[in-house]
Amino acid sequence: MRKFQLLSLSFILLISSFLSCTKDDYKIPDPVSEISNDCIKRTLGPNIIGLPIEFAYAMAVPKIKGKLLSAQVEASIPGATGTFLENRSFYTNNSGVDVPITIGAPGVTNGNISKVVFNIDTIAATLRYYYIVPEAARGKSVSFTFSVTNVNGTTATYKLGPYTISKMDIKNGLAVSNGANAYISIEDMAVYTQTTATSAAAKIDLVYLYRAAPTTFTHALVSPGADPLYLPGVTLPVGVTKSSKIIKVFNLQDRNLANLQYGIYIDDMDFQQVNLDNAPNYAIGLKAEAGIWVETQDKKYRAYIFINSINTNGSAVISMLRYAL
Amino acid sequence: MYMRVIKFSLIVVVLIASFIACSKNLPVDEDGLLITFRKECIVTNFELLGTDYQTVRAAVAVIDTVAQTVNVQVAFGTDLKNVYPQFTLATDCKLDPKITGRTDLSDFNNPKVFTVISGDRNIRKQYKLFIKF
Repeated sequence: MRKFQLLSLSFILLISSFLSCTKDDYKIPDPVSEISNDCIKRTLGPNIIGLPIEFAYAMAVPKIKGKLLSAQVEASIPGATGTFLENRSFYTNNSGVDVPITIGAPGVTNGNISKVVFNIDTIAATLRYYYIVPEAARGKSVSFTFSVTNVNGTTATYKLGPYTISKMDIKNGLAVSNGANAYISIEDMAVYTQTTATSAAAKIDLVYLYRAAPTTFTHALVSPGADPLYLPGVTLPVGVTKSSKIIKVFNLQDRNLANLQYGIYIDDMDFQQVNLDNAPNYAIGLKAEAGIWVETQDKKYRAYIFINSINTNGSAVISMLRYAL
Repeated sequence: MYMRVIKFSLIVVVLIASFIACSKNLPVDEDGLLITFRKECIVTNFELLGTDYQTVRAAVAVIDTVAQTVNVQVAFGTDLKNVYPQFTLATDCKLDPKITGRTDLSDFNNPKVFTVISGDRNIRKQYKLFIKF
């Protein structure tokens, strides 16, 4: 009897092990039977007013279901001038280069809708959409609805967002020079000369100057209200007296300020958290790729000024991110 | 008889070894740092960085381990209210007070005092930090 039980148990174990090892047949996934789409946001970092947010919108339809007719994007807040949906589809060749193929007439943007109508037979395309962040979106969220229609009238849609729009403003490539374009206004995000600074005296936050000696001075951004020791030989225009808080930094190369060279982004949160307590009102010895955090005297703005390049003849190119407090 | 002695010795050795293995680890101080037997208690190097983490020294710092002073000359325009002093100490030493961020060294009349504590935590030496432009 005991032998029989043992034999049965072994038999059951054998069968179950066989069953558990049965190979599952591979099933070919159902092919896409309807029009379909997908989308990614290509732009990284904060969404800044005036800069584009780039998307890649892919769409396809089975050959038996006809061809693509049109594609469109609807933004919850209309984009600024320059917002458009590409009429070219890109593919990446063996060398890694994106190659465009025109698929329709140039896209038309009307209000918050950007549209492209296909004028060649195609069943698949990837279109780029560039949304220029408008002033109206400052501090708000923006969402996007991408949609594609085939000749049979079938539509597929893809929603992306919401994306928060930064409160920051950006200004790139401001040329400053010793004794000439030397007066910087954060409020205006502009540079003034000795003559024009008088008319904007209340807005001047910084003076750019260059001194070869002492050797540690070189390129400097100094508040008009700083100790004259840090403004040697400078005669300030009438009314230019403000004193800003300044913290020197190095190796903080924001991608948007540094001509898309680095993978670092300054965001709204950085301006909210930067500690400018006990900060001085001058920064001397600035080098290329250095920067300064600034807080204006009236505490209306904080800014990050990046030194793009310097020249030993006493000039520099700067870029600025500004955050209204 | 001979085998019994060997067995007994082996047991004793294993017993002692296990006791040693289970004995408490070397002591640590209130910061969780190992208290060692080292008695050296000196500053071996000093660096001073600005808010941009670049040196603000105009010359190499002069460290007098007898007078227990560090003298450092800084560059023109250095903002001494916002600097990061960095001390290099002898092995196993630690510094008190700890430097946890930006430090204000602008008070020339009251030079900051940092205490170096030896590895065995028995020797404490106070170093005065003198800064000049």
